[in-house]
Amino acid sequence: MKTQSKTTILLLSAFFAIILIFSVFIYLSVSNYSYEDFYKLLEIRAITTAKTELEENVSPDARDLRDEFFEKLPHEKDYIFKLEPGENFYKVSAKMNIPVDFFKTIIDEGKAEYHYRSLFYKGIKYSSSKGNFIVITSAENYYEVHHAVYLKRTLVLAIAAAFILSLGIAIYFSKYVFKPITKITERVKQISSENLHLRLPVTNKNDELNELSVTFNDMLNRIETSFETQNNFVSNASHELRTPLTAIIGEADVALSKIRSTEEYIETIKIVLDEAEKLDKKTKALLFLAQTGFNGKIQKFDKVRIDQLLWDVKETIEKINPDSKIFIDTSLLPENPVKLKVKGNEQLLHLALTNIISNACKYSNYKTVYVSIGASDNKVIVIVKDSGIGIPESELKYIYDPFFRASNTKNYEGYGIGLPLTNNIIKMHNGEIIVSSLLDSGTTVQINLPIGNYEI
Amino acid sequence: MKKKILLPTDFSIESLNLLKSILSQNNDGWKYDIVLLHGVTLTSSISELLFFSKASLIQSLTNTDFEDACNVLKNKYASHINSIRKDIFTGFTQTSFNNYVEANRFDMACIPASYKLQIKSSKSFDVVPFIKKSKLKTEQIEWNMETLMPEKGRLAELFFRGVATN
Repeated sequence: MKTQSKTTILLLSAFFAIILIFSVFIYLSVSNYSYEDFYKLLEIRAITTAKTELEENVSPDARDLRDEFFEKLPHEKDYIFKLEPGENFYKVSAKMNIPVDFFKTIIDEGKAEYHYRSLFYKGIKYSSSKGNFIVITSAENYYEVHHAVYLKRTLVLAIAAAFILSLGIAIYFSKYVFKPITKITERVKQISSENLHLRLPVTNKNDELNELSVTFNDMLNRIETSFETQNNFVSNASHELRTPLTAIIGEADVALSKIRSTEEYIETIKIVLDEAEKLDKKTKALLFLAQTGFNGKIQKFDKVRIDQLLWDVKETIEKINPDSKIFIDTSLLPENPVKLKVKGNEQLLHLALTNIISNACKYSNYKTVYVSIGASDNKVIVIVKDSGIGIPESELKYIYDPFFRASNTKNYEGYGIGLPLTNNIIKMHNGEIIVSSLLDSGTTVQINLPIGNYEI
Repeated sequence: MKKKILLPTDFSIESLNLLKSILSQNNDGWKYDIVLLHGVTLTSSISELLFFSKASLIQSLTNTDFEDACNVLKNKYASHINSIRKDIFTGFTQTSFNNYVEANRFDMACIPASYKLQIKSSKSFDVVPFIKKSKLKTEQIEWNMETLMPEKGRLAELFFRGVATN
């Protein structure tokens, strides 16, 4: 069942329940009131009858007055029975079709009420100078006969009318509420992989449905970006792999076109080897990227001391490129060495930090790179600061896309795999990488890694 | 030996240079109780004051980078720090500030020599003039104010700015 119809039914049943409870309450309270009222009326009649019939010295005027001014109730009858010891009223009750209990209650409590269908009985005990009497007045309840029927009819009609009205309201309301959702659904249905640029209309209203649209749009943005990245990745990867291959093929072709001297062959083979090594590096990096990006692979995680790791990284980088100047700043090193230990894979973290720091060296033309370590309560913070060419602000969001290279890196060698790889590695360690940069004045990379809580 | 120090703050990383320098100068084995003080004008609306909470006000003024920076310093100088606390001063007059200082039994205060505390919200005000006028022993601290740096406002700022540490 659709939520819309569910809402309609829910609303309708709520309305209906309220109306029903209301009507039942009205009917019961009104009829209850009328019963009580009628019994009181009968009681007054009974007392009056008793007074006029049983008292001595009653002037005849009073009797006339009663007959004249008391409106006769339908089927009104008065019964007077003398109360004598031993009297059990069996015969009378059988004759009048009244249960004997009625009489017993009168004798015990002074008054009693009874009704059979619309015929109502009220009995009282009356003591006069002539003795004790039971006076019973009976009459047909006019209300019961006429008013109750009318009330019932009115209520049923009112319920029916209210039901129809609330049905209308419920349908209108559920339509009104679900209209924007239906709209969103229709709009989202139109969006497929071909037209990912389409977005849902967003209003300025600050309601939940608008938020939903905004969230949808955000998601679409992300999907579109990742779609593009995927597309770019394949073309970039093939391009990157093809460049060295083209060079190898070209070299080999030229070398084979005629007989060459030994020196020329040596040179050609050197070039081929060079290009093949490049190709090897690229495929290795790609493989690594694929492995780290894929969460199914479980790496072995162990205790890693970050400061130790940084010294290793520094050594490695200086071995690869002796021009690198790396200054490891330990001024904010925490006193407690526990705060420097993280749970991680040493090789991967080594690779990640090497990437970041060697990038810093490379893009700052081998000026000094400052590396600082600190620790807050739950994370180790490594900060790599260079004073290099920086990253243009508009391109900062693309730096984790594979093969992306910033527009100002034309003079530097690289394939744009290092930073995505680093990002993958840091993410695997539940860490965070924050890059802030100013064009032409430097880049600062902050890496946060959660502390492993290893005791000493 | 314990020492209670008052440091004005605007909840920026840069203002933590005060804390960094006072801690790096400590060679005599003092243990510090640090209070980072920020001036805030309280609302005069009674209903707002009814639901006023100092903790949530401070919470709204700080950010995670600032908290992390405090923790980094706390871990670095763990043996020199007894406590770091953030507090707000809500008075208007010099007398109320003097009372605040007296009540908290500060031993000294540090103020920046040339750095001006940033006013974060319309309610904030600078407490440095109050500190200057009070009888509290104050020390002025100067650091290199380089304006152009990529990590401005970020936690990384703490590691590189100004004060040299040993």
